[in-house]
Amino acid sequence: MRGKQAMPSVSGKTFSVIFAFTLLPLLVLSAQGYLIPLEWIDEIEYYALQVDHETTAEIVVVVLQSLEGHGLTRDGNEIIDIVQLGVYIFNELPLETYDGDTVVGIGKEGKDNGVLILIAIEEQQWRIEVGYGLEGDITDLESNRIAQDYLVPELSEGNYGEGLYYTVVAIANEIPVPNQTDNGVRGVYYYEQDISTEEIPFWETDWFILAIVVLMILFGVSVGIPVFRRGGGRGRGGRSGGGGSSGRW
Amino acid sequence: MNRNLLVIVIVVIALIVGGVFAGLYFSTYNNIVTLEASADEKWAQVEQELQRRYDLIPNVVNAAKLYIEYEGSVLEEITSLRSQWATASQTGNVDSINDATGELESSLSRLIVVFENYPELEASQIVEDMMIELEGTENRISTERMRYNEAVRDYNVAIKAFPGNFWASGWGFESKAYFEAKVGAEEPPQVPG
Repeated sequence: MRGKQAMPSVSGKTFSVIFAFTLLPLLVLSAQGYLIPLEWIDEIEYYALQVDHETTAEIVVVVLQSLEGHGLTRDGNEIIDIVQLGVYIFNELPLETYDGDTVVGIGKEGKDNGVLILIAIEEQQWRIEVGYGLEGDITDLESNRIAQDYLVPELSEGNYGEGLYYTVVAIANEIPVPNQTDNGVRGVYYYEQDISTEEIPFWETDWFILAIVVLMILFGVSVGIPVFRRGGGRGRGGRSGGGGSSGRW
Repeated sequence: MNRNLLVIVIVVIALIVGGVFAGLYFSTYNNIVTLEASADEKWAQVEQELQRRYDLIPNVVNAAKLYIEYEGSVLEEITSLRSQWATASQTGNVDSINDATGELESSLSRLIVVFENYPELEASQIVEDMMIELEGTENRISTERMRYNEAVRDYNVAIKAFPGNFWASGWGFESKAYFEAKVGAEEPPQVPG
């Protein structure tokens, strides 16, 4: 949580950059301290938050010490392929938001406008995973070019903070700012209102639903009633499907 | 008096049991329908990515043609497997698409190996771009394939496990085929006659 201290507090769903060490037990620590200097983490987080404000797109940076031993599994097997790992982190790993909620899926739900930058220090591998909604703006070729121009040169010098920051900036430059009609959408944008404290109408309470379900079962017409769950739960974010690029440095 | 009470109790119990049974019946049906729809939707996604690869291959082959002289057979093979895949795709049969896809994939992976072994190829921007696109397409296919297989697994479990197993065949649900990655992709593909 180190990098978050300087962040302005915004209610609602606004994770912009969450470093692996906020999520995972394996921290990126060197003998001198953090491998990535805190001021770079702050820079990256602040920038990504601005991107979120302006475009609603979410750029998440994850730094792993190694592709092994991180404990992220699928069907009981640790995911050691960086592409599959990227897909997993992007779509299935619960990430903490600024107001303490957890959200699964980078980017906004329905817009799928997330980007994940994942690097594994030991294996010297990088992966940029682009959400479905941004595949048109950031093609595989563009993501690769950004990585080759900004990420790889810095990483091979050991300048992780610089490399990640320049990459975040370069990616953000590809993300279009919503036009005038979209501004209306941004006005009622997620983190402007706090969904978790919203009054739950009685017809959406679990008790009410339960009563209906019991009644319907008694009358033999239990027809897949959606049980609404509001607040406090896990939010759903954007999705991706393996778009982007990857490589080594 | 007592008899009347007994009858009422029995009727109430029968209603509850009947209600629970009917509820189970319908919710099982709805569950299977939902799972099937989810699997079908994911299959559509897989097909879309396979189509993307199909569209990409001519560009890859044309770009590589300029630089690969000795390995021309790989390119010819890819081209012919591509049209075989198209034929299989039109049938809509998961199994035959599976086979055709596996063969195409092993050829493409050999092309990527060829590419990596030719330094002069790596120097060519156009071929490199094609390879990045190809890689992105392969990643998308494997992601959507994984999701489809997970959906199929859920669906197949639902129709084979209690209580779905009692009714599923009567409702006309059949288990769906997985879309597996071919094992032993480095083997030369067997071209069906």
